[in-house]
Amino acid sequence: MPPFKDEQIIIIAPGSEATVAQLGLPESFTPARLRFRSRMFPAEKDGEFEPYKIRRKHSEAPKAGTDGGDDDDIIYEEDRVSEEGAVWPIQEGKIVDWPCFFALVSHVYNLLNAPFHTPILLIAQPAWTPKEHEKLTHFFFEKFKMPAFSVMDSALATSWAYGVHTATVVDIGKDKVDVTAVSEFIPHTQGRVIALPGCGGEAMTQGLLSKLKSKGFTRAMCEQLKKSAICEILPIGTPLPGTPDANNQTGITNTASAASTGALGSGPAGAHTIGSIPRGPGADTEVGEEANAVDDEGVLDVASIVASGKMSEYLANKEKEKQDKVLAKKKGASTETPAAQNRAFRLPNSKREKATFMYEDHHLLDTLKGMNLGVKGLADAQASLDEGPHKKGQAVEEDEPRSAGDANGAAEPGSATSRSGPIRRELEVGVERFMAASGGVLETVADAIHRTISSVEEVNKRSELWDSLIVCGNGSRVRGFKESLLATIQSKYIISPSSATIFTSEIPSNISTPAGTGANTPQPQLGPHGSSGVNPLLLAATTAQNPHLMVHGGNPLMPNMSSHNTHSSHGQTPTSVKFVKPPEYFPEWKDVGYDEAAFLGAQVAAKVIFVVDQGQSKGYMTRPDYNEQGPPGIHDYSL
Amino acid sequence: MNVLNSSTAPNAGEYAGDEVSAIVLDPGYSTTRAGFAGEDVPKSVCPSFYGQVDSQYLFGENAIHQPLGNIQIKNPWGSDGIVEDWDTATKIWEFAITSRLTGAKATDPTKNGLNDGTANGDGGETMDVDMEGLENNEKPLEDSPLLMTEPGWNSTKAREKYIEVAMEDWGTPAFYVQKTGVLAAFASGKASGIIIDVGASMTTVTPVVDGMVLRKGVQRSPLAGNFVSNQIRLLFKQSQPEIPLMPHYLVTSKTQVDAGSPAQATYRKFDIPPTDGFRRFEEERVLTEFKESVVEVWSGQGGRFNNGTNEEIAKSQPGRPFEMPDGWNQVFGAERYRAAEGLFDASAAITDADNPRPKDEHTIPKLVQAAVQAVDADIRPMLLGSIVVTGGSTLLYKFNERLNNEINLLYPSTRNKLIAPGPVVERKYAAWIGGSILASLGSFHQMWVSKKEYDEHGPSIVEKRCR
Repeated sequence: MPPFKDEQIIIIAPGSEATVAQLGLPESFTPARLRFRSRMFPAEKDGEFEPYKIRRKHSEAPKAGTDGGDDDDIIYEEDRVSEEGAVWPIQEGKIVDWPCFFALVSHVYNLLNAPFHTPILLIAQPAWTPKEHEKLTHFFFEKFKMPAFSVMDSALATSWAYGVHTATVVDIGKDKVDVTAVSEFIPHTQGRVIALPGCGGEAMTQGLLSKLKSKGFTRAMCEQLKKSAICEILPIGTPLPGTPDANNQTGITNTASAASTGALGSGPAGAHTIGSIPRGPGADTEVGEEANAVDDEGVLDVASIVASGKMSEYLANKEKEKQDKVLAKKKGASTETPAAQNRAFRLPNSKREKATFMYEDHHLLDTLKGMNLGVKGLADAQASLDEGPHKKGQAVEEDEPRSAGDANGAAEPGSATSRSGPIRRELEVGVERFMAASGGVLETVADAIHRTISSVEEVNKRSELWDSLIVCGNGSRVRGFKESLLATIQSKYIISPSSATIFTSEIPSNISTPAGTGANTPQPQLGPHGSSGVNPLLLAATTAQNPHLMVHGGNPLMPNMSSHNTHSSHGQTPTSVKFVKPPEYFPEWKDVGYDEAAFLGAQVAAKVIFVVDQGQSKGYMTRPDYNEQGPPGIHDYSL
Repeated sequence: MNVLNSSTAPNAGEYAGDEVSAIVLDPGYSTTRAGFAGEDVPKSVCPSFYGQVDSQYLFGENAIHQPLGNIQIKNPWGSDGIVEDWDTATKIWEFAITSRLTGAKATDPTKNGLNDGTANGDGGETMDVDMEGLENNEKPLEDSPLLMTEPGWNSTKAREKYIEVAMEDWGTPAFYVQKTGVLAAFASGKASGIIIDVGASMTTVTPVVDGMVLRKGVQRSPLAGNFVSNQIRLLFKQSQPEIPLMPHYLVTSKTQVDAGSPAQATYRKFDIPPTDGFRRFEEERVLTEFKESVVEVWSGQGGRFNNGTNEEIAKSQPGRPFEMPDGWNQVFGAERYRAAEGLFDASAAITDADNPRPKDEHTIPKLVQAAVQAVDADIRPMLLGSIVVTGGSTLLYKFNERLNNEINLLYPSTRNKLIAPGPVVERKYAAWIGGSILASLGSFHQMWVSKKEYDEHGPSIVEKRCR
């Protein structure tokens, strides 16, 4: 009998942004059931942490005197939505605050409500050092007293999920990117790019922010814009909508110059919002007059207005604006041809000049809460400010992207109740939404991949590694990211078959007359270090021309052949770049995507090491092992 | 108590928690290797180059490849294979150890919440155990002994500096330093032999007898990996038309062009361009690729490449194509043999005004000859029976065949045997692997120089204890 059952196994995968965990392996593997944002809040006592923000109601002396209770009687309130003052223990994949990290793991463990006999599989970030693995082992055994424990590298887990033994795993995280070459289920430690800063999801948010800051967008807005469906990274060479190029459909647009010069306003809609107004911060620009901004787009710091007590004024303005809009729409409908209008709605996102998304304003909510409005006042204010879809018929426009708010699937814990939920507002953005990666994110990642694969010592493995790219991590969820990354690699690194070798010099030289010494006898030569990097199609094409050249009469497409007749190919890589096809047989994962494939791989691995293998190949460390060897023993057991 | 029992906590000291693994540090000109003793490959391989932007230093693979404005790429090693810039070198080594092995140093004690009392929720007791571990980490190596490698001709001053850094700055409890030659021999399971180590900046030939370096026999020369890179640069420069060497970071996208025709690529523009040093460093990546896929050491009949008809024969061999990052591509025929020929034959080296012909006595065969001359005649056959080949530059295609030919030409009457580990990792990191083996030997424990001994005798103890 296996020592552990499927339903007992715990998997925990901490990340910079979110920690996912699950108790038990279901029949068909599912995405993690528990998702908890990787942050804790400092508790009243130093060194302790709470999972949710604790607010002190009536912090000072009883001001409003609602209950008039004792002065010492402080009432605490859990705020499940706010993230003010949170401590994020993992940054750039590294654990920076150990007490907080331990508190986080403990909280996640408690949430799982685990029974007694539960082995734990921990997914380790590549940035964690061996010494830190020991520290974690120590902590887990001492704290949770579980019977067995194992640590698995996240890149390795991803390759398990895809069921490939050799792959290049590109994990786009929050603040960092890890690139790992996994060959034969062994991650290459040399030359592995670990925690490359400045090109994760956060970098893209900052990229949006740098473009939109002049329009009054905040970081939080950009973050949600990035997660919404309207943010997209267009394929290289796609003209931005609204640029002259887009209309003429010619040539390549320089996205950067379009953004900086503001040369967008050719469409009628573009003209009235941006065309005539100079970009960038300054007195004459859009952000110059606040009152104007209020009417304009609704993109502004509502929180400060509310805080300064002008809420009713703002709401009145808003109401007026809505009516104007409706009027304008009616007017527009009469002037414009219906066909043109319809077309505008049916255009795909990449062709539209502007689009809207739902913004959940946590900051505003925090401000409201800080104002001591009382329960009813709070609810009222929230209801009046909320433009979310549940207020039907008012603010929702037809083309509102349905899934805008939660396109990321990152369901916020605690946002379940509608009343305490965030206040949603509709924001409109222009073509800046296509510029998330304008800060060179793609180039940096592509270069990191090139460096990683180039540092793999077995030269003949490299082309296989290029042909099996896996891009995962939630940072890669931005629409178009993976495709653009592939396009960047292809335009920059791919080695095309040299025109000098395809049909000319190469083949005749191979059948040159043997010299008297025998030195020139044609022999199938191995490439340097036996590179198998030959493109089989190229080989087929070249050998088909001279059938007598086909050594041993074998099929040139047979894999073992490629190790013989490789001299005509480049020793260089890549000659082709491909993504690995995600596995088809996990229906639950198929729906949400394989961005957290590491967790799927961990499920597979947990099943294998805890249930199938039963510790025969030292897949996990048991309690007696730990008692005998101590924390350093983990290196003998982890995968 | 080998019963699976999940409910009992271990008694204090029941596990072998006091057993700590030593760290092996093998610094080199191109990379710095570090890892735990007993493992088969170094976990941490960091570039020994570092970037400098104004007064800010950048360490590690991730940082030094960014094309930042005014970034300078530097190396703390001198041209003679001994560390020049000690301050930076120790920082790089520390980075190599802390970034991938031990974890970053604990944060400032006033900020990391470690001194804020003991209670930590319900996990209070166990957290304490961990905190103690953290507090000990004020110095990066407080709980691991350190074994370092050094080149065979390291000066006394440099060795004393090693132990000083390890003991004072890193707080290691025990230290030892061993020569790379000996360790490379250990990695191949030999106690005696001739170790030919062709690295990035230096080629060294070290005779080792019974685990001791014969100092008078140690030979070194600058004809190594960097020399080959330089030869390739000259090859590019002297070919007609000149071959443009374009690093990756300058290219945005390339288009396919016919062989030999000028590149058509879109180039990246920089407001503040990185320095020439950075460009040279990035060009080195392309040259490495060139070495891996094109360069071949002539190993045919007649020994030297420019002997007799060898060049004609080489011309009839199939060429190897190479594509630059900007799309320029060409097939390299006979000239691909020329790049590495200078390692063996000084007269065949490509030269120009700035790069004079290398000295004859610096070629590898001459080094071996000089090393063998320096040892007693009766042990020469024994040494020639185990010639260990190591270093990244020995991975040049057909290098070993050529070396074998050369040595057999020099010593036709002895049984010469070349020992070159097949796996690339073992060839590249032989000295580190030897260190890993040595430091995990039980009998080695009495050799460590302990902190106490150091405190008593000062840095000069390293001369007495580590021979």
